[in-house]
Amino acid sequence: MTVVPAQQSGGGGGSSGLYDVVELILDRGLVIDAFVRVSLVGIEILKVDVRVVVASVDTYLRFAEACNRLDLESGPKKDPGLPDLVGEITESGAKGKSKGALSGAAETISDAFKQSREEGQRQTEERPRARRSTTSRRKEEKE
Amino acid sequence: MTTYVYGIANSSHPALPDGMEGIGKPACPVRILKQGELAAIVSDAPEDLKPKRRDLLAHQNVLSEAGAAGSVLPMRFGSLAPDDETVVSVLGERADHYTERLRTLDGKVEYNVKATHNEQAVLHQVLAENPELRAMVEANQRQGGGSQEQKLQLGEAVTSAVRAREASDAVEVRRALEPTAEAVADGPESTGWLANISFLVSRKSAEGFVAAVDELRTTQPHLELTVHGPLPPYSFVDPGPAGPAE
Repeated sequence: MTVVPAQQSGGGGGSSGLYDVVELILDRGLVIDAFVRVSLVGIEILKVDVRVVVASVDTYLRFAEACNRLDLESGPKKDPGLPDLVGEITESGAKGKSKGALSGAAETISDAFKQSREEGQRQTEERPRARRSTTSRRKEEKE
Repeated sequence: MTTYVYGIANSSHPALPDGMEGIGKPACPVRILKQGELAAIVSDAPEDLKPKRRDLLAHQNVLSEAGAAGSVLPMRFGSLAPDDETVVSVLGERADHYTERLRTLDGKVEYNVKATHNEQAVLHQVLAENPELRAMVEANQRQGGGSQEQKLQLGEAVTSAVRAREASDAVEVRRALEPTAEAVADGPESTGWLANISFLVSRKSAEGFVAAVDELRTTQPHLELTVHGPLPPYSFVDPGPAGPAE
């Protein structure tokens, strides 16, 4: 039994869907040379606040901080939304293939996006923003 | 009067979005221009059209509506013809090409997948795989974070490990979902994703594709996957859908 993802943007096409597909609308699709295209000058492709790892001193420090805050013993077990990753070092460098699922990332991303817009689209931050886990969101939905 | 073009479909398309609200404010009503076996989904274009959010949404909505009921070739946003006659003559001149594309894409939709890392999870993962890194973290933690020098050293090593994961995970996302798709196209370069990939999926096998995404979420729990679809096949309108449409 499969549920078609909730983050569908077919039919109604919610606005949150637009942010995630806007680059397709602007950069893909049929182009006909007999037609002119509207100038896209001045358009700001809205950047979603998702981290991408770039080599820079800022990133190094950010990751060092994140590692310092990492609970090496209980690690991901504290977050029921995450499965147990390999806690003990194994010689084979295990791939950490374990059971568990992270879903609802779409909402997380739109949430992060909305937040980043509200914050005036700050491009950089001192520290990674903690994302709400799926579990906590589920709880909220139940309440 | 300039004509705005949303997309191209077959004349026999069962539910073209005739009369739907299109771009502009107030919204220009969508019209259908037919030429032989082909139809163009168009509307008037407001003077001084700019890529405003409202208009991008209108473009996407008109195409979603058309794509929900039949095959459609979506235009890139902002395509303007001098008048209706020009649109009709383009349909006539390139009828074979558009007809072939519509036939090829019939019953198929685009799903766009973007992947990012769950930072906590990926950090645990690279530390589990790199005993040296883990030892560095432990040493730093014992010293209340370590010196600036040690932080930079650790940060550089972790950054490099996470970047390597980003690259290998991008390959993994593609590898895991490719078998359930008819074609794959790398999405436009955009920021903040370790992978941005579009898949052309037959409507009939969409469940299989969605199941493959769920499976990937299970086997790679450090990945956060955003799926958008079904979309009109933006990335597959040109021949050779294995590559991006240029």
